[in-house]
Parts: sequence; C-alpha cells; structure tokens
Amino acid sequence: MSTEAIGIMTTEPLDTDDAAVLADITRMLRELLEEDGLDDAEISRETTFHDDLELESIDLVTLAGVLREHYGDRVNLALFIADLELDEIIALTVGELADYVAASLRANGQG
Amino acid sequence: MTRFLLVVPPLVGHVNPLVGVAGELARRGHPVAWAGHADQIHRLAGRDVTVFDCPMPAGGLVRPPELTGPAAFRFLWEEFFVPLADLMAPGIEAAIDAFRPDVVLGDQHAVAGALIAERKGIPYVTSATTSAELIDPLAGMPKVAAWLGELLGGLRARIGDPAGTADPRFSPYGVIAFTGRELLGDAPLPWERTHLVGPAIAPRADRSDFPWDELDPGRPTVLVSLGTANADAGGRFLAEAVSALDGLGDAVQGVVVDPGHTLSAVPPGVLVRAHVPQLDLLARADAVVCHAGHNTVCESLWHGLPLVLAPIRDDQPIVAQQVVDAGAGVRVRFNRVNAARLATAVETVLDSAGGHRAAAEAIGRSFRAAGGHVTAAGHLERIAAQHAPAPIPATH
Repeated sequence: MSTEAIGIMTTEPLDTDDAAVLADITRMLRELLEEDGLDDAEISRETTFHDDLELESIDLVTLAGVLREHYGDRVNLALFIADLELDEIIALTVGELADYVAASLRANGQG
Repeated sequence: MTRFLLVVPPLVGHVNPLVGVAGELARRGHPVAWAGHADQIHRLAGRDVTVFDCPMPAGGLVRPPELTGPAAFRFLWEEFFVPLADLMAPGIEAAIDAFRPDVVLGDQHAVAGALIAERKGIPYVTSATTSAELIDPLAGMPKVAAWLGELLGGLRARIGDPAGTADPRFSPYGVIAFTGRELLGDAPLPWERTHLVGPAIAPRADRSDFPWDELDPGRPTVLVSLGTANADAGGRFLAEAVSALDGLGDAVQGVVVDPGHTLSAVPPGVLVRAHVPQLDLLARADAVVCHAGHNTVCESLWHGLPLVLAPIRDDQPIVAQQVVDAGAGVRVRFNRVNAARLATAVETVLDSAGGHRAAAEAIGRSFRAAGGHVTAAGHLERIAAQHAPAPIPATH
C-alpha cells in the first residue's frame, strides 16, 4: 500500500529557520488544498488542521508524503501523529507541525 | 434451523443491509428476530417482522454540522455508540432470554450485541456496513486506539463479561462486511474470518412518488443526494450543486434530493425533491454527487455509476478516498466547493475518456458477483453449524 521513501535529498541546504519551515508548510498546505477549492484561506501558526482547514486524518497521510518528498526521511509526520492523544489531534495547529519539522531537521542534520 | 437475533443501532444505513439478510434467512426457514429501534426497523424491514424494542437515545444521532474530523469521531463513540450500548443492553438481554437465539448478528457499532452475546456464551457475528473500519483507520494513532479501547473496556465491565478480551467490533466468530475488495484496494483485512459479501442491495419498500416524465431522456441524469443523516448540514452544498447543474444547462438533467427543504429558488430544468426512490433512480442515472456514505456509494457503484464525493465526516473521507483510488470518482471539499468546481467535477466523471464510468462499472460487476445478502446468509448458516452445541450423546 505505502511506498518506501527513496530518500532523495535536495542538493541545496534547507533553511531550518522556523519561519522558513512555516513558509514551506504553508505553501504545501495551499497546494494540497488548492486542488480542492481553498485558494484564499489564511494559514498561520494558529490555524488548526481540522476546524480551520477542515482536513481529515486521511489528508494528514497525504501531507506526510509531501513532507517526505520535500525534506527526505528526516521528517516523519507519521511518528509525530502516532505520539498524539485524541485531544491533541483535534486541536493540532500548523505551528505545532512547523515546530516538529524544524526540530526534526535540527536533530537530523541539515542535509 | 437456526435462530438468529439481529442487533442494530438506530441508523438507516446500518439497518438496510440486514433487511435483505433477514429476508433471505427467513426464506431458508430460519426464525429471525431484531433488537433495536422498533419503529424504524418496522418501517425498513416491514410490519410483520419480530422486533424486541430497545430504549434509544432521545433524538437519535444529532450533531452540529460543524462537528467533523477527529472531534466528530470522539463524539460518535463517547456521546453516542457507548451510551447507546448502555441503553440497549437490557433490551438485548430480554430479547436473548425470550427469543433464545443460536447466533447473534450484531452491527459493528451496536457493540452491546457482541458484548452481551459474549457474556452469555452465544456465538456472535459482526455485521460491518462500512469499508472504513476494515482498514484499521487508527493504526497510525495508537493513543487514539488506546482511548477507544478504554472506552470499550469500561462498557464491557458494565454490560459484558469483564474477563472477555475480543474487540466487540470484530467478532472472533466472523465478520460479514457489506463491501468489496475493489473498494478496499490491497489493504490487509483485520481478521482472516472477514467475509466481503458486497453490498446487500435488496428491493425495498419505497413509497416516494417521482415525476418520471419530467426527466429529460436526452440529457445524462445526475443525482445529488446527501443521504438520510445530513439534512441539517447540507444547505450551502445543495445550493451550490443546483447552480452547478443549472450552469451545465443542456449537458445534464439534475435531480437534487433536499429532505430538509433548504433550497428556495430552483431554476427550471433542475428537479428538486424531498425524497426520491433512490434505487429506481440510480437504474436510470449517469452519475451521482453524494457525501460518500457507504450505502449510497455502494448502491451507485452497483449500478456502474461514477461519483463526485463530498465527504462530511466519520467514515466518509475514507470511503471517498477508496472510491478515488479505485478510479471511480473524484473528491471535492464539502464545506468549500463552489458551483464552478462542482460543475467541473461532474463533467470530469461524465466524460467517458476519464475512465471513471468504466471503473465504476467494473466495481459494479464484482459487487453483483459477490452475492450480497444471499452470500451473507450462507456464511451465517456455516458459522452457526460450526458452533452448534454438540448433540447430547445417547446414554447406554
């Protein structure tokens, strides 16, 4: 069902600065949602995945793939989700995801 | 002869597939009784069936339209399915004592049936009316799975056998799932004794009158329906759907189901009805726009119709994705989609070059071959025979 990450790394070092990561994720979410009629949504750190963006769990699976494509194996959204309680999933914000991605990049080197 | 007790929640989509199964079991000479919401079961299964009425939550399953995603999941179990099981327990207990079933067929979400049968030592089979639970949607969320496990554990301590360990949603005796492999893709089944019997599409008493002569035979018919449980949430979507169909002009004949009477001005050329005879209409339709409820999806695919899917909550996003992955439909966002995007989606699935119709027809053929309620009845007879008490040996 799922495919193993090939682990293609970008040749240019990625900026792990929090703001840059947030910008990356915002762009990915826009791309993810644009196909489905959400071009104009404001996305900020406080934006929630479920109430604000109306993403379903199944969309998080798609997002996990997009993140891996962009950052390689260093960012594993599935691990992050697996550690969340139901209440935390309900209230999940874009900022929390950005912080996890930034921390993963710092912990796993800059490529 | 085997005595079957069917335990169902007060949800049309969970009762309907078992109506055909109950009829087939009765035809084969087995005594059948139901436990659940008596008024609803009589309405769906007929006046002459035996029903043991169970107390039901006041007002049924009512959730604000904006309650979606994981919050809707939490509500569904914490505020509906678990309280429902506590409420139904005495009625099921009484039904078992009075009817003395050999086998209990319990809906996957009316878990009191499984828990009480387990405590009483009666073989029980799970009826699964959606494909979504079969792919283990909580696999990637172990803490959520643990939360649900605790909730069910507490329930078992109150109404079941505290020493029991089986997941009441997946009976160790077998799971009969009214769906098909074509929807599940290559996802592994949760349990080897899961029988995919396809949707149980039996003719049902449908008293909706319909102005058949108002359908333009020269235009492909597109049915828009949000199912039986979403009348409160559908206003905006239905209005966009009507504009989309109107905008497509002579390219389609739109039929919109509006049970909540939310639509005001309806352009000529689009047919709006509070109720429709859905199966009869599907037999004449060319595409369906719906909320991705499992029953509407399966009935549409059964008729070989491609789908535009606007899932609202619960299992619907998963079912929608399964249809998209199978190539038989496209997904739009229920709360975001506008008339223009909806029109494009309808055109996409109607265009034979896109392959959606061919994929839907292939799924429909396999659904028909799976046998539905007839195959289900066969599995139930076999499971009953395997677990029938051994005859008492004659004394010498």
